[in-house]
Amino acid sequence: MADWNTMSDAEFRKEVRRFFETEYPEELCHLPHRPKFAEIEHWHRKLHAKGWVAPAWPAEYGGMGLNAAKLLIFYEEQQRWGVNRGRDMGVQMVGPLIIKFGTQQQKDYWLPRILSCEDIWCQGYSESGAGSDLASLRTRAGIDGDEFVINGQKIWTTMAHDATHIFMLVRTGPGAPKKQQGISFLLAPMDQPGVDVRPIRTLAGENEFCEVFFDNARTPCENLVGELNKGWTMAKALLSFERIFIGSPSLAQNALGQLESFARCRGAFDDPVFCDRFAQAALDVEDHAALYARFADQLKRGETLGADVSMLKIWVTECFQRITELMIEAAGPDGGTISPLQIGNVSVDVLASFYKARPTTIYGGSNEIQRNILSKAVLGLPG
Amino acid sequence: MLSSDHDDLRLLRESARTLFERAGGSGRARKLRDAGGTWDPEMVRELAEAGVLGVTVPEVNGGLGIGLAAGGVIAEEVGRVIAPEPVVMTIGLSLGLLRRLCPDHPTMEQLIGGDTVLALAWQERGAGGAPGDAACRYADGKLTGSKAWVVGAAGSHGFLVVAQGAEGPVLALTEATAKGCSVDKRVQADGSSMGELSFSGTPAEELARGTVVKDALTEAISDTTALAAAELVGLSDRAFEITLDYIKTREQFDKPIGSFQVIQHRAVDLNVMLEVAQAGVREVLAQMDCETDPRVRTQLASRAKARAVTATKKITRDAVQLHGAVGYTDEFDIGLYLNRALVLSAWLGDDVYHRRMWFKAREQEGAA
Repeated sequence: MADWNTMSDAEFRKEVRRFFETEYPEELCHLPHRPKFAEIEHWHRKLHAKGWVAPAWPAEYGGMGLNAAKLLIFYEEQQRWGVNRGRDMGVQMVGPLIIKFGTQQQKDYWLPRILSCEDIWCQGYSESGAGSDLASLRTRAGIDGDEFVINGQKIWTTMAHDATHIFMLVRTGPGAPKKQQGISFLLAPMDQPGVDVRPIRTLAGENEFCEVFFDNARTPCENLVGELNKGWTMAKALLSFERIFIGSPSLAQNALGQLESFARCRGAFDDPVFCDRFAQAALDVEDHAALYARFADQLKRGETLGADVSMLKIWVTECFQRITELMIEAAGPDGGTISPLQIGNVSVDVLASFYKARPTTIYGGSNEIQRNILSKAVLGLPG
Repeated sequence: MLSSDHDDLRLLRESARTLFERAGGSGRARKLRDAGGTWDPEMVRELAEAGVLGVTVPEVNGGLGIGLAAGGVIAEEVGRVIAPEPVVMTIGLSLGLLRRLCPDHPTMEQLIGGDTVLALAWQERGAGGAPGDAACRYADGKLTGSKAWVVGAAGSHGFLVVAQGAEGPVLALTEATAKGCSVDKRVQADGSSMGELSFSGTPAEELARGTVVKDALTEAISDTTALAAAELVGLSDRAFEITLDYIKTREQFDKPIGSFQVIQHRAVDLNVMLEVAQAGVREVLAQMDCETDPRVRTQLASRAKARAVTATKKITRDAVQLHGAVGYTDEFDIGLYLNRALVLSAWLGDDVYHRRMWFKAREQEGAA
């Protein structure tokens, strides 16, 4: 297998770009919704055959084994071409956790099934009373013989209605002195009588996420990953890379490009007020990219990122929202229309990008939570 | 070239910071303001000895020749202590012009050595506004007409004047005390003054003529615009530090006010804005060192100044708000930063102006 890390950055970028541009189906570029697996299965097979399903995993587990620098390039190219991330919860979240904390048996069993998408995963973290304050979660699991018995409910479980398995944080040690203690990381099959999935319709009219109810649902004890009651620290340990990825400029850059071509067709650039606001947004994106490059360089030098990386997410998601709001303004009387607008040879779904931008300031730790983190961990403000 | 060299820039930053701190930090700016609003000629010489003024002048012409990114590092340090010395003005404008037009002129050495300070008079009220457009005339070794918005006019030994000669633009050098030269001072928010100059048959030396003057002026103004952006970034950096210290120590309701979430979130927003500005402006300076197309350099400079002014406006004004009533007093240093920011923002174009310029350049590039 190729050792990608010995390639030059430029060479590697070229290779990744070539593969995406020639192999990724054009009709799936920049999908405005999250696809069900069936919709992207064909692409997933290609990716799997190429061995590119898990760019971050070590090669011994079937990943590409990319270092941080190469990984950033891979994701940048993926976003640039509008390649859908697919049903990547398994690859992004469970896989790395099993690799780091799982037993040999767990690795042998689960990892190949994640890569092939034989199992499709969803993430059971948030609950109605535990969103930003995740450690307050109350879904509990007790041991009965050689099984865990799960009771409670999860919410905002992305694509749970199209998943075969759920990885979840559950309370196994009630009465621990701190709420972060007594939480465990469990894997459970969805296809059983004790699990009930109810899709939630979003503002955009899609069924992206669900409520998942557990009523004496069962999973074998061997599906506990890591130590009992140590799930919280494990889940947190994996977020470091996620935090630069979630602050990458691509979403805002793509939206800006879309805004520009749309605004040209609409003649919006004849309006000096619009021009100034466009320039503001474009400069916000450029200067964010400069800050992103600074953090990326840190990764490339092999340094660990500090809590300050959160500022990328705050800036870029809010900027992304402003851009999609400008798109609505440029649409004028069409600003409330749900289907794609065809103007000249440009087709733009104005509201799709607007809706897509809304949850970005909520998920992955809401921007308010990010501000709390920065104020304490970076600025050293008290209390 | 130094501009891409991380460690060398860090060393330069450290030595510039030590030099300014040893001289008295921002306290020195207050003293000089109260003493009449000019700079300290001794400090100019000290900076010159450290090589600061000749940072972008090629080594063969007596400078360090280490590029605009290094100039930006110095400008940031000037901004941090709101030093009134004409550092950016000298690096960017006077030396920026002379090194391009007449690098062998003896004035170069005096400027690099800090023995002479020259203010550049290039703008006029009612003129076209493009670099090189001038109604002020130069003929037979004499200047006649007026120039406006001359920064540093009060403490300078002489003026570099862009005038209209018989065959296009001329760059002329005149002494501040020359016959027929008068300076009308306009006091600025930070206590410095800007000059309105008028000449009537004032003797002057021609340094250069023709379109080269216009071209060099465009380049020098781009450099200076980007350096002024760096000065604003340094200023914002320190204004934010002062404010952060204040909200950590000021107590109300038996707690530091920095423990209140609304204050914390505002502080974070300022911090994010500062980091974006710093990253953006430093990237611009490094790119300008590698870029030769003057139109691209001008557009880059606009990007830097637009970002720096936007950030500094927000940071210095919110800083006053976070200080509460004492923020509105002259006694607290934060006001000095706000006032200096007003002056630097208005100089060579504010954020709105530069966004317009940047966008215009982008459209022209798109059309080309």
